[in-house]
Amino acid sequence: MPGRRSLLPPLAVLALLGLAALLFSVTLGSASLMPGDVWAVIRGEGSPLARTLILELRIPRALAAFATGGLLAVAGALMQVLLRNPLADPYVLGLSGGASVGALAAMLAGLGGVVITGSAFAGAFASTLLVFGLAHGTGSWTPARLLLTGVVVAAGWGAVITLMLAISPAERLPGMLYWLMGDLSYARTPWAALGLLGVVCLALLPLGRSLNVLARGPLQAAALGVNARPLEWTIYLAASGLTAMAVTTAGSIGFVGLVVPHMLRLVLGNDQRLILPACALAGGTLLVLADTLARTMIAPEQLPVGVITALLGVPTFLFLLYRSR
Amino acid sequence: MTNHRNTAIGYGFTALGFALASLALSQPALAEVCAIDDRDREVCLPAPASRIAALSPGATELVYAAGAGEKVVAVVAYSDYPPEARDVPSVGSHTRMDLETLVSLRPDLVIGWTTGNPPEQLETIEALGMPVFYIEPREFEDVSGAIERLARLAATREEGERAAEEFRTGMAELAERYADAEPVSVFYQVWDEPLMTINDEHLIGKVLTLCGGVNVFGELSRLVPRIGDEAVLDADPEAILAGGMGEENRDWLTHWQRYTELTAVRRDNLYFVPPSLIQRPTPRLLEGSRLFCEKLDDARGRR
Repeated sequence: MPGRRSLLPPLAVLALLGLAALLFSVTLGSASLMPGDVWAVIRGEGSPLARTLILELRIPRALAAFATGGLLAVAGALMQVLLRNPLADPYVLGLSGGASVGALAAMLAGLGGVVITGSAFAGAFASTLLVFGLAHGTGSWTPARLLLTGVVVAAGWGAVITLMLAISPAERLPGMLYWLMGDLSYARTPWAALGLLGVVCLALLPLGRSLNVLARGPLQAAALGVNARPLEWTIYLAASGLTAMAVTTAGSIGFVGLVVPHMLRLVLGNDQRLILPACALAGGTLLVLADTLARTMIAPEQLPVGVITALLGVPTFLFLLYRSR
Repeated sequence: MTNHRNTAIGYGFTALGFALASLALSQPALAEVCAIDDRDREVCLPAPASRIAALSPGATELVYAAGAGEKVVAVVAYSDYPPEARDVPSVGSHTRMDLETLVSLRPDLVIGWTTGNPPEQLETIEALGMPVFYIEPREFEDVSGAIERLARLAATREEGERAAEEFRTGMAELAERYADAEPVSVFYQVWDEPLMTINDEHLIGKVLTLCGGVNVFGELSRLVPRIGDEAVLDADPEAILAGGMGEENRDWLTHWQRYTELTAVRRDNLYFVPPSLIQRPTPRLLEGSRLFCEKLDDARGRR
């Protein structure tokens, strides 16, 4: 296992890439601004229009994209460790389904803005409690039991979502579908999501070694003196909290949480002390790039960001997987 | 019955038809009525329609405008105008009709919406023997034309022609009055999340043009494009017109007030137009257009 020294260079590279992606995102948009205009705004000058575009629209949105991507990638990495299943993603236990039902119910009732966000968070929280309670059950639980409970609850939410889409009036459908596809135009302020991402990454740092042991299985973990049960519940709650925040920020954006951790493992190896912060940076970078393209590819028209994340991520992942044989 | 009569069976019955026709001559003949629908098919009924099913809220308004409101036996969800239409039995949403209910209401004429109703269901309805008259108004004249043709099928020509003429002359008056008006650049907001507008091909876009407005997103290729705040700031329209969810919902306009560098915000040219007046291709479009033109005139006055 690499020492603390070898953790820093890859993280520094990823942080630089993230910064570059954020700059790229701030200079591009449907309104054309020269790099000089952007620089003027950063120095505190520039025209009022350029200031509004950059300070009120592009920077908050780029930061929200970064935070959402980071939250999803970290949550995905945690779920994969917890369930010891490479197909696990932040949504595998039904969390996005619960959030979607909450958000769509608010839209169906004709409510907007903050109510949708709050309702989505309530749905995510309800789903977490439901899966937690049911998987806990009476007897012993295993990752397989938790996974099965989550997948079935997710299927149930899926049916409710289809029902809601079927009965909602036609003019409400575009909003609902964009929400389900994941869309950063719903993001209001990035600070809560960024803050949570930072706090959880710092809180997970001391757990890195235990997570590495847990990734090898609960028996090895017990043999090596790690108490698996409380650690597993901690991971579950942390991953749920991260996903709930991501989903309420930007709807259910797929793919990032599944593939970014795998990509990083292929390149950096499976050391959780490195993978978790790297996921925060790489997931954020991927989503910032994807959202920039979604905003600009057919500007002034906008695409849902989930489409672009998959289009960017699939070839990258397949290339890494092919090369790693 | 539509005029797809040239089937083998049809020819077989021709001789019988002659025999029956000679019989019928001695009695008052049932008046056959025909009209061309928006798919260019001639729809003929053996007698004027007496039980009409309107499969979109817009079609319901057109049938009532044609003077045949009393003959409407079936509508779909959200058919809320005129108010009497709310009491007519509904056969479900326009995207998924309950065919059993529709059949049991025994309509002798079904008004279908070419791009709004599922084509398979309309074909099934026709196969079950109920004639379908397709409508798809894309121009102002399509609205008045549809009213006249529906009035012919329902034998309410006088009332239908009056309503069609009122709409036609009303729109022509507006066109004349605003033909040389100073252009006003306008952003029309159909929906807020996601932010959506319309292009020049859309009927609402045509109302904007009629009133001397210039749609800042008129050139986009999609009928209802999805855009972002940034594009609106970049286009800097002189006026913003918003539909809204309900009839009184002005929240969408307060969203724009934080962008003080927008010309529309500085001059307070943020207007709300009740969506029901403008978003359906029906005679109420005239009232909506008048309101649109007034708002744009208001914006001209604040220069």
